Amino acid sequence: MQDILQPVLNGILLGGLYAVIAIGLSTMFGIVRLVNLAHGDLLILGSFLSLVLASSVGLSPYWTILGVVPVMYFVGFFVQGFLLNRVLGKGMEPPLLVAFGLSIILQNLLLLIFTPDARSLMTRITLMTIQVTKSLNIPVVYLLDFLAGLAVILCLYYFFQKTYLGRAIRAASDDEGAAQLMGINTKNIYAKAMGIAMMTAGIAGLLVGTTFTFYPHTGPQYLIIAFGVIVIGGFGSMKGCFVGGFILAVAQLLGAHFLGPGYQLLSGYVVLLVVLALRPQGIFGTV
Amino acid sequence: MADTVALKVSGLDVHYKDFQALWDVSIEVNAGQVVSIIGANGAGKSTLLNTTSGLSTPTKGTIEFLGDRIDGQPPHETVARGVSLVPEGRRVFPRLTVYENLFIGSYTPKSRPKREQILGTIYELFPVLKERRNQMSDTLSGGEQQMLAIGRALMSEPKLILCDEISLGLAPVIIAGIYKRLRQINEDGITIVLVEQDITRSLKAANYAYILLEGKVVLEGEPSVMTEEQVKKAYFGI
Amino acid sequence: MGELIYRSRWYFLGLLVLVLATAPMWGSDYVVLFCLLFCLYLALSQMWNLLIGYSGLLSLGQQAFIGFSGYTVAVVTNYYGVYIWVSVLIGGVLSGLLALFMSLFIFRMRGVYFGIGTWIFAEALLLWFGQWEYVKYATGLFIQPRHPPSITALYYGALVIGVGAVVLVYGILRSKIGLGLMAMRDDEIVSNTMGVEVFRSKLFCFLIAALVTGLTAGVLYTYQVFIQPYKAFAIDWTVKLVFIVVIGGIGTIEGPIVGAFIYVLLSQWLAEYISVSLLILGAIAIAVILVAPKGIMGTIQERLGFEILSPRRR
Repeated sequence: MQDILQPVLNGILLGGLYAVIAIGLSTMFGIVRLVNLAHGDLLILGSFLSLVLASSVGLSPYWTILGVVPVMYFVGFFVQGFLLNRVLGKGMEPPLLVAFGLSIILQNLLLLIFTPDARSLMTRITLMTIQVTKSLNIPVVYLLDFLAGLAVILCLYYFFQKTYLGRAIRAASDDEGAAQLMGINTKNIYAKAMGIAMMTAGIAGLLVGTTFTFYPHTGPQYLIIAFGVIVIGGFGSMKGCFVGGFILAVAQLLGAHFLGPGYQLLSGYVVLLVVLALRPQGIFGTV
Repeated sequence: MADTVALKVSGLDVHYKDFQALWDVSIEVNAGQVVSIIGANGAGKSTLLNTTSGLSTPTKGTIEFLGDRIDGQPPHETVARGVSLVPEGRRVFPRLTVYENLFIGSYTPKSRPKREQILGTIYELFPVLKERRNQMSDTLSGGEQQMLAIGRALMSEPKLILCDEISLGLAPVIIAGIYKRLRQINEDGITIVLVEQDITRSLKAANYAYILLEGKVVLEGEPSVMTEEQVKKAYFGI
Repeated sequence: MGELIYRSRWYFLGLLVLVLATAPMWGSDYVVLFCLLFCLYLALSQMWNLLIGYSGLLSLGQQAFIGFSGYTVAVVTNYYGVYIWVSVLIGGVLSGLLALFMSLFIFRMRGVYFGIGTWIFAEALLLWFGQWEYVKYATGLFIQPRHPPSITALYYGALVIGVGAVVLVYGILRSKIGLGLMAMRDDEIVSNTMGVEVFRSKLFCFLIAALVTGLTAGVLYTYQVFIQPYKAFAIDWTVKLVFIVVIGGIGTIEGPIVGAFIYVLLSQWLAEYISVSLLILGAIAIAVILVAPKGIMGTIQERLGFEILSPRRR
């Protein structure tokens, strides 16, 4: 019984990382009712951006956040502004298919540029642990991910609750026409919102890179994690992201603990599918 | 004092796909006036207001505000010019509080710096909004939501506000209160266009009136010289 | 001109089928191969189009059925010595059953939930098969039937499935089920009042699509002889289907015919540039959605004002 404390603890910390992986996807769904199928690949793009910056500047990967975040903002702004805005409101399929196409293009572009080799941004931190008891330790990198995730989501919360742009985004997602009557250029707002979502994805990508290895094709894996977090926790809810993150991560790690490391992803998928079948709106679901 | 024309609609046609909602509609509103547009359901009143705000685009004709053309412009530009719409059904933002709804009304760059000041005037005009400012707007009663919608429209310091059926679904005593406030707003110099199904009240409040039937202007004039007979005929198309 | 095309459409189609049916007699090996692949992709894309173009179901996981059926054929043929064509049939049936199982989890959802749900199943199957000793993990299996079918036999199998898929889709859409689906597609309010009927129709289409996809995969893998999980369950399959149907025209029966032809043609050329092939397919598909969302046949239909293989009753 003592045995499972470690995976559970790891799972809770990892859940924080999963929450920040998911927050961008959740936010955009709440705003434009679009699940961005390229979310995972954009996140990995962030990881690769970080890789490029870290190796060209020679600093610890964590500093690359200064470069990754602005670049990802523009990536998000352009993807929404020039691609997705064009197909918004034209039915269900076109936005999904365009996002899907983008996902494929990104994966293959990254494959071309960076080859299929495994990559990582791991540092000395990745191996550090804090010993809590004889059998329990805290991996420092997980703790860092958790705290970073918490910080990002709190900032996002503040942004949406207190700023003009944040409130404008919420207004536009409530009623697009009425928002326009307030002087809000809604298409432009959506692009900015996507920019912000991509900033979080960039940060998530950086954190992922420092914690795990990644490849050009790792994107979909993180899309599914993000999706899983939101399905379990409920779309449109920030605390839902954390709860969903915890549950998914703990499920994965317990699965790995009992069945073997190869079953980590699979355990997550199974839990996700079960939740989809039983309570598709998630725990805190508002949509 | 020469009357400035605040709003001038000329020969407007508006189509929804194959359906023509407005036929060659022409309307003039002088600055500082209250103008009523009346008509039965489906007469085209909301279409007229929505097109003026930019939510729809005309297929023919022009709309001028203080001499500048605004037809076909996206709504956020029209608002920036000083035209505010209080839309049909109020359309307050349900997941924002009363305060946030008003806050977002001052989104335009012009009104942002003056936000707190304008907010003060709105709270004076509608004290109940101050009371309920931290409540979610969808918890308000119909009348309160209507006041919120009007207050929100005023946050951008418009020169012209378009009111689409603000009395719909409200008790007479509430409506009376709202109309009283509208009078105050008008006395402060804001031009008002009132679209209503309720003939009596809106005619009483107006300096000039237009009656629409099936997308066409069938009667116009000063309400004081219109007979009940004329109005009924025009309204019902008998 | 349009009227002429419309009246003579059955002749054109009949001619096409005749040409295909006699290909082994007049065509070179290359031509036969081309037509074989064309028929297989035609079947796959007709099914995907039935789902997204008519049933409102975006499936991002058809590869689940492709891989599952392929492996079924491999296992049943190799380990149990079953006659190859029976194996293919079993592959189809089991794919249908897999679809039934999947529907328990994902059928309460619409739109993207459904799509990602199918994708997750495919990924889960990929992981499962990659770690399964019974199927030799990720090393893959060679399909070794006792009496390997000739290319001609395989070709006719593919032809039957390809043409059959078109006929099947046409038949479904002209039936009561199809009527209901198209009414739902054209008017959402109607669909809400139709409730259970629509649900059953969609489920029916989902199962049929899985079945036919399974049959197709069975023939495909028998032809390709080798199957491994990272290719069989890869998202690449969906990319190709998206390309074919989007280019050809979503929600038209003729669309996939045109799209499959273009794809097989393109893939011969792209074979030289494997690393960019998916990229190009994806880029073209996006461009088409942005610029001409109705695809080739959809745009032609709009211009001419009628549908060649129209499921609508006149």
